[in-house]
Formats: sequence, C-alpha cells, structure tokens
Amino acid sequence: MSDLLHFSEHTLQEFALVFMAIVYTMRIRWLFKFKGGRERQAPTGLPDTTKRKGIMYSWAAIAMPWTMESTRKKAFFYAQFVIFHLGVVAAILLSFLIPYVPSVLKSSAVVLIFQISIGAAFIVGCGRIIRRITSKYVRAISSPDDYFSLILLTVWFGFAFFAVPNNYQQGETVLLTYFILTAFFLMYVPFSKISHYLYYPFSRYWFGKSMGYRGVYPLRRSTKQRGVEYGN
Amino acid sequence: MGTNNRSYKAEKVIERMGEKLNRQMVTSLAGCVHCGMCIETCHYVLANPGDPTYAPVYKADQIRKIFKRHYDWTGRVFPWWVKSKSIHTDEELEELKDTIFGKCTNCRRCSINCPMGVDYATFNRMARGLLVSVGVMPEGVAVVSKDQWEIGNQMGVLKEEYLDTLDWMQEELQSEFEDPSIKIPVDKQNCDVVYSINPREVKYDPRTIADAAKIFHFAGENWTMPSEGWDMTNFGLFSGDDELGGAVARRLYEKTAELGGKKLVISECGHGYRSTRCEGPNWGAYDVPFEMESSVITMLRYIKEGRIKVDKSKNTTPVTFHDSCNNARSCGLFEEPRELLELVCTDFREMYPNRAENYCCTGGGGAMSMSEYTNRRLKSAKIKADQLKETGASIVVTSCHNCVDGLTDVIRHYKLGMQVTQLVNLVSNALVIEEKVLVPVEEIPEVAELEFTGRKILVADDEPDFVTFISAILEDNGAEVIKAYDGKQALELARLEKPDLITLDISMPGKSGVEVFDDIKKDKELRSIPICIITGKPELRKLIYEHPDSHPQGYIDKPITEEGLILNLRKIFEVGHHDKVKVN
Repeated sequence: MSDLLHFSEHTLQEFALVFMAIVYTMRIRWLFKFKGGRERQAPTGLPDTTKRKGIMYSWAAIAMPWTMESTRKKAFFYAQFVIFHLGVVAAILLSFLIPYVPSVLKSSAVVLIFQISIGAAFIVGCGRIIRRITSKYVRAISSPDDYFSLILLTVWFGFAFFAVPNNYQQGETVLLTYFILTAFFLMYVPFSKISHYLYYPFSRYWFGKSMGYRGVYPLRRSTKQRGVEYGN
Repeated sequence: MGTNNRSYKAEKVIERMGEKLNRQMVTSLAGCVHCGMCIETCHYVLANPGDPTYAPVYKADQIRKIFKRHYDWTGRVFPWWVKSKSIHTDEELEELKDTIFGKCTNCRRCSINCPMGVDYATFNRMARGLLVSVGVMPEGVAVVSKDQWEIGNQMGVLKEEYLDTLDWMQEELQSEFEDPSIKIPVDKQNCDVVYSINPREVKYDPRTIADAAKIFHFAGENWTMPSEGWDMTNFGLFSGDDELGGAVARRLYEKTAELGGKKLVISECGHGYRSTRCEGPNWGAYDVPFEMESSVITMLRYIKEGRIKVDKSKNTTPVTFHDSCNNARSCGLFEEPRELLELVCTDFREMYPNRAENYCCTGGGGAMSMSEYTNRRLKSAKIKADQLKETGASIVVTSCHNCVDGLTDVIRHYKLGMQVTQLVNLVSNALVIEEKVLVPVEEIPEVAELEFTGRKILVADDEPDFVTFISAILEDNGAEVIKAYDGKQALELARLEKPDLITLDISMPGKSGVEVFDDIKKDKELRSIPICIITGKPELRKLIYEHPDSHPQGYIDKPITEEGLILNLRKIFEVGHHDKVKVN
C-alpha cells in the first residue's frame, strides 16, 4: 500500500470526520439559538394521543410508508429511497472497514452484499439524476447544490462499488479516488442538502411533539380503500 | 429605500423574520431536501397539472430563499449555490403575497406528508404575518382584520345587532315550543357553559344559534352567551398576525373569566376552534383558567350522558362528512363528529380520503375573503368536487362555518346539487322532545313566504344570472321583483316604483352601487327605503360603511344561499317594522 493511500484511508478521513463534527456542533448551536416553541393550551384529541407517542410516531414514520399518503401511493419511489439510503450506509461503513477491519472483506459473501447494496444505490442515483433533470416540478425546485450533491453521491457509489474487494495490490486508483471522495463528501456535507439527516431528528421531533399533543399523531384514517385517488 | 437600495417594507420584512423564527420553523426551512414528495398532496397542484409554481416545495422556497440569504450561513456565503435570494422591492413583496395568500390555504396537508417533517403551513403563516406587518396583503384581509380589531368581530356585527339576533332566536324558540321558559341567557354569572359563536351565525345563519340554544335547553344546561367577546373566530390565524390573534383570543378568555364560566364551548368552526382552543393561549400569552371544548364534543357528551335523546330516523337523507383542516390536522378533532353522525343519521357515507388526510374545502386560510383569487380557488376546488360527488350523499356535513361557505361555492360551481349543513342542525332535528309538539320543519318556508307577500323588491346587479337567481328566490317567497342591471337603471326604477327594499351590488359598470347608494340617501323620497348590499368583493364594503351619513340596513357576501338571503331580508323588514312601531 502506498503512503498516499494509507494517508487517504487514515489521516485524511480522520481530519474530515473531525471537521464535520466541528461544523455540525456549530450547526446545532446555531439551531438552538432560536427560540423554542411552547404550547400553553391543554392537549386536544383522543386520550390515547400524547406528546411522547407523537414524537415516536414521527420519528418512525419514515419506516412506515403506509402511514403517509405520499409514500403509500409511491411505493416504487419509496423503495428507491430505501435502496439509496442503504447504499449510503454501506458506503460509509466501507470507509471504516477498509482501514480498520479489512479482514471482514475477505469473505466473498460480505463483498457481494456490499456490492449489491452500493450498486443498487448507484442505479437509483442515476435514476434520481434523470428525474431531477426531466421532471418539470423537480427541476423548478432544484438548486446547483441539489444537482451536485446527487451527482457526488452517485459517483461516490460508483467508486465504492469497485473499492469493496479492497484489492489495492491490483491498483490503487479506485481506492484512492473512493477515499478522497469520501473525505470531500464528509467535509462538504455540513454545507449542503446532504446535512438533512442532521435536521431530521429535530424537525420530526418538534413536529411529532406538536402533532401528538394536539391528537393528530398517530394518524388515523378509514382503511376502506375506495374513492377518488389522486397523484398515482 | 433602506439598506442596499432595499425598500423600507422589504427591510422590515427581513428584520422581523428574525424575530419570528423559532427552532421548529428553522428546521423546516433548513431541512427540505427538495425530494418533491409533497407535490401531489396539494389540491392546487392536482387541479393545475404542469404548473410547478403551485407545488408546496416551490411555494415554500419563495420564503426559504429569503431565510437562507439572511439567516443561514450557506445562503449568505454561496447564495447562487443554494438558490438563496433577498428581496429588495415592493414589487417582489407583491409577488410573494400572490404565492403565500393566493396559492395556499395553509391546510397543512403537505406538512403531514413530508418525510422530513417540514411544516410549510406554519412558516407560510409566519410569512403572511410579515407581509401584513408592512401592509402588503389582499384587500379583503385588511378589511376583515380591521373589523376584528375595531368592532371586535370579523364581520363587523354590532353589539345591538348581535343582541337583537339572540332575542329574535329566543322568540322563535319560545313560539315554536309555546314555552316562554326557553331562554338564550346573556351575561349570566357562574354558568357551567359559556357559549361562543362565529359572527357568520348572526349574519347569515342564526338558526344555528337557535339549534344550539334548543340543545342546551333540553339538556338542562346552565349556560349563557357573553354580550361582548363572543366571537370565537380569529382572523389572526389567517393573516399571520399574532398580535391580532392574541388580542382577539384574550377578549374571549377575559370575558369568560369575568362571567365566572366553568367551560367555554366553541361552536362549530374549524379555524375558530383551532384559534381559541389551541393557538390563542400561545398568541395571547394567557394561561386559560377554565376548560374549553368544541360544541361537537359537548353534543356527543349530552347524548352519551343521557341528557338529550335523539332519534336518527329523523335524518334519513344520505350524508357525508367533510373534515375541516384546522380541526383534523391541527386539533385532532375527527372521530367525535363521526361518532355523533352515526348517532343522529341513518345513512352516513365516509368520504375518501378522510380525517387528517381529507382535502381542504378550498376556502380555508381566509381564501373566502380574498376575492382576487376566486377563479384560482374555484379551479382548485375540482379535487373537492370530485371527492364530494364520489360519496353519493345528498348532504355534506361539516363542523366549520368557513367550510360551509367554501363547500357551498364548490357545490354551486360544479353543479353538484348537494346541501351543506352542520352537526348542530342535525342533532337539533333529531332531538326527541317529550310531550312537546314540534312545528314541522316544512312549515318554515311558508312563514318565509308570508313575510315577502306584498313586498316590492328591487334587485340591482350587473350579472344577469345572479339577478335571475335572486329574483326566483324572492318571487317564490311572494315578493314582487323589479330587476335592474346597472346603477342608472336601478336609480330610475327606484324613483319610479318606490320599492320596499333594494338589494344592491357595489361593483357595477357605469354608475356604481356606491353612487346609487349615495343618490338614494340624498333623495328625500327614497332615503327611507332599506338597502341590502350584496357583493362578491368584501373589500369594497368600506366604501359604504365609511359613508359619513348613513349605512345600509343589510350586507351579504357572495356567494349567497337561499336561506341566508331570506333570513337577512326578513330581518331587515322586521327591524324596519320595529323601528316604525317605536316611532309611532
């Protein structure tokens, strides 16, 4: 292994992680500088709805696609979301396994699982790029950051896919590119839309707390499926 | 112009945004990933396919870009990269107004469908408040807000008018049941229930007050209505003006506390319930010392406790239920109305989607007062119309006065042939009253017919269809109708025919309704003729109400209902009759 690859796998990643953690800390401090909301009124809704239930439901909603009409009616899109985010998890995990526990990747089954996860995410990423360019609605709302973040992740998936076997003996270019991209990704994330996962627990916490207190969460609906269906 | 060649108003909007932001709003503003999942949850989008400017995320971005430019570091450092943008001119504020008032009813349907928990409706309301604070708002919003600040209720109902209506309804009830002990108590101290209502009930639908009074009476409730601070509606919710919201809510709370009421019962109104029950204590920084309850829950409780008995066979027409957005998506009030409907109707048909997923009536968020967006509103109502039609019901029930108006408009526009009613009317109709003889409901129109027999009414409006519509109603009720299609003709016919009453549109070509009103009031022979203004532009009513000498005897917003027209005109004749008796 070359010094450059070793540096990229260790020092560069550690620096990028520390940088990201510092920026995130600053970001959370910034968020908490804004005033908090307070609800003075007595709770509304059915007695079995509470703030706590609302928060738990709100956090879990993303894993319960049947609860939101937007995910319920777009099962294919929801599946893409799951695949894409599993790919992100796999590609991040890979950046720790290669430098710290490379033995795990000696198992061909593990390699296959990682490659399937990351490869599928790469395909979804390509689909999402096409959607962002071709959909009139999505194009109208997209910023350069939206395009760049998506392309960055998709390209990263591509290199991660080939980096999974960790065969630096057969050439370091793929691994080197993957780790440099990972470091760039870690440092870019706090400034981009990719940092949404930082906000997710907070936004869903506050929304769920309010909706639970007001008896809206957990959502209820008549399960009988008929009537006018829009947006399919 | 202020800093960086920015207009004074734009400067203030940016400055005040910082004061309004809270953590929940900031995560909603910063956390959007532009995934587009919200797009097809909005009725505006569904009714305007291909136009991305209606997409919730697009509309939210019009506010988000200002937030990012001034309050978020990435937007400050790399504005073009994240599409952040400041505002500089008053024209840009007008464009923002068109989006946040004219393309969103703050129904919150996108909020519950956002995977990230972005609550667009909440910061859209915040943005409305910012624009209102610098005087940028639809004219109707300004008029209604002014009424609520100055007169204490959003329809400009005067105290005398309110108390007269309560008296009138009390007399109707006493006469219906031949029982002088039936009262609508006013300002009674230490009651168990203080009942607050929507001024629309006084203005257009007093039977809902009578129906509620009937239910309270037969439930043996110790109740009262306040003489002041009785309006539970709150335009602050729509305009985003927390100061107005707090002031209005406090009026109601303080009056209830002054009366020593144990519980404040809020009549059926979605935004009124949300404002009074949920938001008011926060806007007004007031810890409410008594309980608050929707009248839907009160009625359900009476039945469950056996305080009233109902016979569902009295309501056999197929009904469906429309969830008010404010009730369902902001207060969790959606099971109780259904439970009540099952008790008082034989044929309840669910609407799909329903509860928190139901579509807006399209008149929410104050849209009914913004006449400049009427065409847009009615186009977007196609979604609601299809939903209603699909139920196969003849009556749509809703626990919201705003929805009553919104749905009535939708039903008329899409020719659905349905009626709109409220739970209080159905419960009242289903009441089982022992050893009392009820006057059959069918006889009421006969009373109305008698009211207008021998009356000569001049209808002045430049819309021929509307003249035909009103004339048919009035003629069916015994009146002789004279029709005028412009201001000049109206004046000529008034001089020639000397009618007993004139219904007058304000916005007419040539001589406007305001000029006709002025001329009539200056004419010695005509000035005593009562005039009822009927207009689709509520913002124009100030032209008449700011008249230095005299005011019209009645005022009705378009769209009108047959029942609303008859009740209002009957009331004008009754008041005129009382005045003559007093003079004599």
